[in-house]
Amino acid sequence: MTADDQSRLVAEVTSAHRARDPGGRVCAHPAWHDLDVDGRREAFAATRELRTLEAALDPEGLTTTARAVLARIRGAAR
Amino acid sequence: MIDLDEHLPAIATGDADAFARWLAGAEGRLRASLASFAAEVDVEAVLQESLLRVWNTAPRLVPDGRPNALVRFAVRVARNAAVSEWRRLAAGRVVPEVALGGGEPGDPGDPAAAERALEAGPADPWLRERIRRCHGELGGSPARALGARLGSGGLEHDRELAAGVGMTLNTFLQNVARARKLLAACLERAGVRLAEVWS
Repeated sequence: MTADDQSRLVAEVTSAHRARDPGGRVCAHPAWHDLDVDGRREAFAATRELRTLEAALDPEGLTTTARAVLARIRGAAR
Repeated sequence: MIDLDEHLPAIATGDADAFARWLAGAEGRLRASLASFAAEVDVEAVLQESLLRVWNTAPRLVPDGRPNALVRFAVRVARNAAVSEWRRLAAGRVVPEVALGGGEPGDPGDPAAAERALEAGPADPWLRERIRRCHGELGGSPARALGARLGSGGLEHDRELAAGVGMTLNTFLQNVARARKLLAACLERAGVRLAEVWS
């Protein structure tokens, strides 16, 4: 895998968008499976940085992770 | 120490806005608690699944009288979810207990780190202002790509976001990465190392 390939996969994994399986469980991002150990750690660190930025830029201090979870909660009864 | 349990009574009654306020203070701590699993599971997926479980089980939580009972409960939920996911992905291979981060399953980890996470981060007005100032200096394609991510709130695939801002997926991803690096460099010039900030 080239460095560019790895960078692209890392950037994909930093998204908060995650698919659900038929049972509703949140699935791993497909790109995450293609990363090696170093790439997965890099993706974790990059995601953490992005979420810090997102929280600071959001009027309610919420990240895209929080927004995704809240959308799911608000769309379904407990 | 900030006690996020002030939101617990409302969360227990199904108040999603209260859960949002709790999330704003707790997410960084929960993500940090999963750092040791980063090479083994997709932490973002595990974290989202864990937060949904916390929301569904919070009404049954009986606080133990110590601060941040819901955060500590959520750390246990997230850790157990990460171990389960790791075992599922390992598909029969043995997951070494020693690699699971030490301590008993459900150990909330380093209390000092938890406290620091609850006191620092973007809630710090100075840091928020710095990040906003740097974001204001961000222009062009990196700003548009990051803005698309922020605007979607994790609900749309990057392919759709890229199309919405007139980029190919590859270019969009490059611009998201560039935006993060440019903001990190801007913050570094102000004496802030983004990688060391607890969100």
